[in-house]
Amino acid sequence: MSHSSTRSKIDLPLFLAVVGMAIFGIVMVYSASSYSAEKQYGDAFFFVKKQAVGFVIGLVGMIAASRLDCRKLIKFRFAFLAVSLVMLALVFVPGVGKSNYGATRWIGFGSFTVQPSELAKYAYVLFAAGYVAKDPARVRRFVGILPLLAAGGSVCLLVILEPNMSVTMCVGLLMIALIFLSGTKLKNIAAIALPALAAVPLLIIAEPYRLKRLSAFLDPWANPKGEGYQLIQSLYALGNGGFFGTGLFASRQKYRFLPFAESDFILAIIGEELGLFGVLCFFAAAAFIVWRGIRIASRRDDLFGYMLGMGIVLVYGIQVVVNALVVSGAIPPTGLPLPLVSAGNTSLIVTMASFGVLLSLSSR
Amino acid sequence: MAITFLFLLLIGKFFYVQVISEKKLGYRALDQWTRELPLIAERGTISDRNGTILAGNAPSYSVFVRRNAVVDKTETCRVLAEVLGLDETSLRLRMDSNVSELTVARQVSKDTAERLGRYVLPGVYYAADNTRVYPYGDLACQVLGFTSSDMSGVSGIEKYYDKYLKGTNGELLYETDLVGIEVGDAVLYCEAEDGLDVTLTIDYQIQTLAERIMREACAEYSPKRAECIVLDLDNFDVLAMVSRPSYDLNDVPRDDAELLNSLSRNGIVSNIYEPGSTFKVITAAADIEESLKGNPNAFSVNYIFPDSRTRSVDGTTVKCWSTHANGKHSHQTLAEALNNSCNPCFTDIALSLGSDCFYSYLSAFGFGSVTGLDFPGEALGMLLPQTAVRACDLARIGFGQTIAVTGLQLACAVGAAVNGGNYYVPRLVKAIGAEEIEPVLRSHPISAETSAILRRMLEGVVSEGSGSKAYIEGYRIGGKTGTAQKYENGKIAAGKYVSSFVGFYPADDPKYLSLVIIDEPQGAYYGSVVAAPCAKKLFEGIIALTEQKKEGV
Repeated sequence: MSHSSTRSKIDLPLFLAVVGMAIFGIVMVYSASSYSAEKQYGDAFFFVKKQAVGFVIGLVGMIAASRLDCRKLIKFRFAFLAVSLVMLALVFVPGVGKSNYGATRWIGFGSFTVQPSELAKYAYVLFAAGYVAKDPARVRRFVGILPLLAAGGSVCLLVILEPNMSVTMCVGLLMIALIFLSGTKLKNIAAIALPALAAVPLLIIAEPYRLKRLSAFLDPWANPKGEGYQLIQSLYALGNGGFFGTGLFASRQKYRFLPFAESDFILAIIGEELGLFGVLCFFAAAAFIVWRGIRIASRRDDLFGYMLGMGIVLVYGIQVVVNALVVSGAIPPTGLPLPLVSAGNTSLIVTMASFGVLLSLSSR
Repeated sequence: MAITFLFLLLIGKFFYVQVISEKKLGYRALDQWTRELPLIAERGTISDRNGTILAGNAPSYSVFVRRNAVVDKTETCRVLAEVLGLDETSLRLRMDSNVSELTVARQVSKDTAERLGRYVLPGVYYAADNTRVYPYGDLACQVLGFTSSDMSGVSGIEKYYDKYLKGTNGELLYETDLVGIEVGDAVLYCEAEDGLDVTLTIDYQIQTLAERIMREACAEYSPKRAECIVLDLDNFDVLAMVSRPSYDLNDVPRDDAELLNSLSRNGIVSNIYEPGSTFKVITAAADIEESLKGNPNAFSVNYIFPDSRTRSVDGTTVKCWSTHANGKHSHQTLAEALNNSCNPCFTDIALSLGSDCFYSYLSAFGFGSVTGLDFPGEALGMLLPQTAVRACDLARIGFGQTIAVTGLQLACAVGAAVNGGNYYVPRLVKAIGAEEIEPVLRSHPISAETSAILRRMLEGVVSEGSGSKAYIEGYRIGGKTGTAQKYENGKIAAGKYVSSFVGFYPADDPKYLSLVIIDEPQGAYYGSVVAAPCAKKLFEGIIALTEQKKEGV
């Protein structure tokens, strides 16, 4: 595995698209949160300031990562995965783990908090890329993919205990997609995917709140003040937007009607203010990022770079699609941020840094 | 492929939610985005036939508090309690409760609202309200009726015409956030539609006159009740309707349901009584009409009734109230029988006409059915069904016993008998808003000729018979007295009478009819003594009013 190390330029369209998306995110976070932040914290810019800090750190991280020689990352595949698993486990240590909305998803000290599951996704991508690249032949046999399953399963297990259904789903999908890309036989995929599908009902039964959410999803109007509330408010926002939206900053639903308007449900506010037209533009931009990412990965002649690039793009793409499905009421509500756009620094910084890695793949 | 498909699915879902469901979701969402303040419609006024307002409105205000928009609860409570005279502790309790919007006070006067307006109180809202005002207190109180505190009609005209009077409340819509704090100043305005004004057929001057006369009668005879109605015989417009005891509409005794129920009862419409001799007018009308038609069973106006004081029917004996001694009640024609109010003569008529014929007149004169007055709670009266009536019953119905009527039924029946034979549906309202209501002719029980003959006879009753206490020198009054014994538990109640007089003026071409009913007068009890003078005073007053009007023109 050697090729010329002549330095070429990074993929500028992707860089601009990611930065543009993050700036758009700041604007939307401002619009979605200014009223509730003013009422709750006495500062309309409360979330925007945090988001701007995250953007600057993310931008620095992205540029720094784009200058790395990503081939060296392969060395860290075990260490990164181990650190992530430890951090995921730390979530359950009293005093370190932080709870919010009935789930323990953060670790931190004071006001500084990190969501380990955001890191774990990428740790898994790195691990999988490294594992496959080291010996591409072994994944052809079923036994060969067992380590991939074990690593993915460990992450899923820890995340689901938080509990965080949506990230578990994302990691699961990511795992299956990466194994597919590794070049294994299709019957092996089926052997994993079918039990995984079968596990979904079990997961739902394990946590009563999921059942409630499921029924709320099936008929949100049955309990509009309770379980159905969030979905109904999201639909109100989208419906109010119509085709061309109410105009930037003119959302009605952001006046505390829609919970998590600035984070998990920011797409509903985008849909309300910018309409279906705005949502389609957003999809187009997201598709552009995915397309540029796949293009970069496909042009790699090393399997590690290919797998790493595809993994990073997949993490982004899967999250966008799952979030959009939730917001539009196509699947039951789960807490998942819209990457690069939703308020939340861990997600923003890590996602931008991951695109930095992707950019570094484009330049070598 | 799969990715493209998923993407199309996603776009399809967004298209469905955002474009196809837009309207449906919009309606539901609008409800949560706004809070309403009512714009209270002004209730229509009630005025007499000449425009004198009998029920109107005084401007007042409702004070609301939207809990989440209040900045300083303690201060807000203190100021509201102080200015509105409320208990601070209980107000605070209400404000701490879980209601997002509470009504602090209704019908707050303009002055108080202005004083409250000097304080800066976020979260406190005002809405124009109305307080019902009755300028003449107890005048026509049972007719007008009253409203509940939320301004819906509870009794009388206020109730019967509530749907016209009340109007439609409007709304001010404020855009708010989830907990009711106003956002922006976008306000949607949905105007209130005021209620329609109702014009009564009541004539304020005649009503005032009738009220005074009934008050004086009550002072003189201390009856249980005293009632009076004045009808316009051209169309059965009710010109005055009095029922005593009465009460002040501005100070309704709402706490005592039983007292309120009895005071607010419009006796002339809702109470029934045995009319006695006033009913002979109807029997006489039937006889004259049948006689003119050539019915051999009817007695002609020249027929001389037998002199005997008694008639024997089905083994029971009908007696005259008079002893018939010393040549009294002898050699009587129908006119003289009316003058003397001689019971056996009317027994003869009822029996001779027979139940088929007599009942057809009872029915044509509206007995056994409601008159159709535009007023709640009209009683039906009690009339034996024709299939159950025995000869001895028929004999007594002939002179107004074994039948119970409302004052209104009797007034309308006599009215139709003397006005040329036209029975109109009586009414209390002649116009709603700008729309005049046309009188409705209900039936034509007798001919104009019969009516003219009857009028002459009844004029004789006043000029030379038992109704002489209603006679006014130089004016033509017709009428008939009535004195009925009251029954209690199926037996005659000793010393309890209903004294009544029904009269009309002018006797040759009647315009006004009045019925006076004095229930259980103390001291004197004959209708000729107790009720007839009241009718006389009433006609004197009406004559004075009409002459005043003529001079004025």
